Amino acid sequence: MRPHILRHLLQQEVLTPDDAARIEQVESARPFSLHWELKTLLYLGVLLLNLGLGYLIYQNIDTVGHAALIALIGAVSAVCFWYAVRHRKPFSTGETESPTPYYDYVLLLGCLLFLVMEGYWQFQYQIFGTRYGLATFIPMVLFFGLAYWLDNRGVLSLGITALASWLGVAVTPQDLLAHNDFNSATIVHTGVFLGAVLTLVPFLSERYHVKKHFSLTYLNFGVHIGMIACLAGMMALDQPLLYFPLLCVAVGFFIWYARTRASLYFLTVAVLYGYIGVTYMLFNFVRDMDFTFYLLYFILSCAGVLVFLINYKRFIKTDAP
Amino acid sequence: MIAYDQTGLDALQIRDAAQEWRRQGLLSDEQWLAVQTQHNARFYSPNVFVRIGLAIFTLILLMAALGLGGLIANLNSEGGLAMLCFFFGFVLFLALELWIIGSSRHYGSGVDDMLLYFGTSLLVSGFYVMMPSNSQPLAYACLTFPFLVVGSIRYLDRLMAAAAFGCALTILALLLVETPKLALYVMPFAGMLFAGGVYFFAQQGQRRYAWRHWHGGLAVVELLALVVFYVSGNYWMVQQAGYGWFQLEQPPLAWFFWIFTFAVPVAYIYFGLRRKDRLLLDVGLGCVAVAVFTYRAYFHVMPLAWAAVLGGAVLFATAYFSIRHLRKNRGVYTYDADSDKTLLQEVEQQLIAQHLAQQPTPTPNKNESLGGGQFGGGGADGQF
Repeated sequence: MRPHILRHLLQQEVLTPDDAARIEQVESARPFSLHWELKTLLYLGVLLLNLGLGYLIYQNIDTVGHAALIALIGAVSAVCFWYAVRHRKPFSTGETESPTPYYDYVLLLGCLLFLVMEGYWQFQYQIFGTRYGLATFIPMVLFFGLAYWLDNRGVLSLGITALASWLGVAVTPQDLLAHNDFNSATIVHTGVFLGAVLTLVPFLSERYHVKKHFSLTYLNFGVHIGMIACLAGMMALDQPLLYFPLLCVAVGFFIWYARTRASLYFLTVAVLYGYIGVTYMLFNFVRDMDFTFYLLYFILSCAGVLVFLINYKRFIKTDAP
Repeated sequence: MIAYDQTGLDALQIRDAAQEWRRQGLLSDEQWLAVQTQHNARFYSPNVFVRIGLAIFTLILLMAALGLGGLIANLNSEGGLAMLCFFFGFVLFLALELWIIGSSRHYGSGVDDMLLYFGTSLLVSGFYVMMPSNSQPLAYACLTFPFLVVGSIRYLDRLMAAAAFGCALTILALLLVETPKLALYVMPFAGMLFAGGVYFFAQQGQRRYAWRHWHGGLAVVELLALVVFYVSGNYWMVQQAGYGWFQLEQPPLAWFFWIFTFAVPVAYIYFGLRRKDRLLLDVGLGCVAVAVFTYRAYFHVMPLAWAAVLGGAVLFATAYFSIRHLRKNRGVYTYDADSDKTLLQEVEQQLIAQHLAQQPTPTPNKNESLGGGQFGGGGADGQF
């Protein structure tokens, strides 16, 4: 392919023969990158170690070996943290590059093993007694601290999850629907609150110029937690008159955000959640209509959304043409 | 032959190559600008998120429209249902060709993808309805195959190409299962032969300049062929198939399939590195995992937890030392990121982001709010 393109551009006199020769030389000498393969191996290694050690602990809970095991896990975790601290880049409020290729994975392993160890202590010795809040509060503080200090978005995600479980919600995107009992009003309230807080943080950090590149992580959690909590309030709590306006505000906010920051991800997500909300309201309040009416609703509304999404370029503000 | 504007497709490929050269500092800004003005594809190809959104809403719209059509037509016979499918499918293809691809110049926008899938499904279903009710599965598969092939050729669709490969494989398997007595001996080798043939076809096809627009589809087929080749001879697959169909505890030629199970991944990785063939290398790495699972399915050498710990440590150490080695010795291989991501890597990036977020943990459910329960992840690390 490439040689043909090169010849074509040469014929069109976009390239000089010198340029073409240079490109040809670079192309033929280009080394074979193993970046992705090795990164995947690192990641799988961390995952397997974490899974294996976690299971080992609970399998051996009443045997002699468990003290040795917990010491081993603690030691590995400590070594990981020591490595991370030793090799850290000087702190900055902006974005810093990973000091070494393995850095992110070592830090991640340290954090995950810390969780395993802490969970074991609580299970075996009840070190926090019945103050379960403390058991999630400590990792939360640790992870947020590490994320900001060492500039790591993976650990930030762990921190946000710990924050959410401290507040009592399971919030990883997949768990969000599967493991939460949205019938309880407290969870919905917490979800709305958490969504609002997570959405607010990026604006504060942009204002004060602290770790602006963390915005997407916060917003991604914020948009899903907030919107699903609103939908749950409408459907499971059956209070659509309270939560539908809230959902509209959230959808409006994220569409505004998408428009000003040219973020197509948030545009699509907001439109999808908004459509689910509107459709639910229609089915809830316009009852006993002919089946044709609903089919026509879907056809017309989808056509409308399609026209809106197809013309997103006119809607979104970009500097680039 | 191709529904999309060919000069536009060429322009896209030229721009991609030029962009890569510019990133490496081989093209000046003026040259890049000249390429952009001279090769303007003018396609409507939105960002992947918008594409997904458009596909979802197109699907809802089409289903509602089909439902409405069914209501109006007031169907009461099989012939009527088939006619509705044909009519609707025909209308969809007209809309796709003349309007979406023709005047609106969509290319991979979600709308054209969904129209193609929905239209093809309708036409195929129309024929299914017309077929006598006692037809064999083989007849259905043979009927579907040409639609998938034509779809993947005319609309350059990778999913269609994958489906066509799967359909061909199904036809082969259905044909062979009928051969009495010999099926068990023939099937693994037929699978290997088929996959090998398809692999070389896809490889040759990708080298042809005239076939440049089918590069993506052929790459998908090549990937599937590699996977099928390994799976055909994998001991676990052969043993399970033999047990399922013929109640054999141990398949014939067991030694051969055991060697195959371990030799092929090694060969894939070796040749992948030798020939700098990323697809071969990546599939080989995946096959190693399958080989390990296959072995563990028959020989319980170690408890699962210990195996995971050991495996994790080995993987981590392998990657660690390889990266160190590559960074010290500059040469044919490098750890620096390549800009052009292959299909596999795009899929993998998505999977990892998904996976980190839902990691299972062995925390007992004694108390819900225990920290160990919820590991969250880098779901937000990608590019938006």
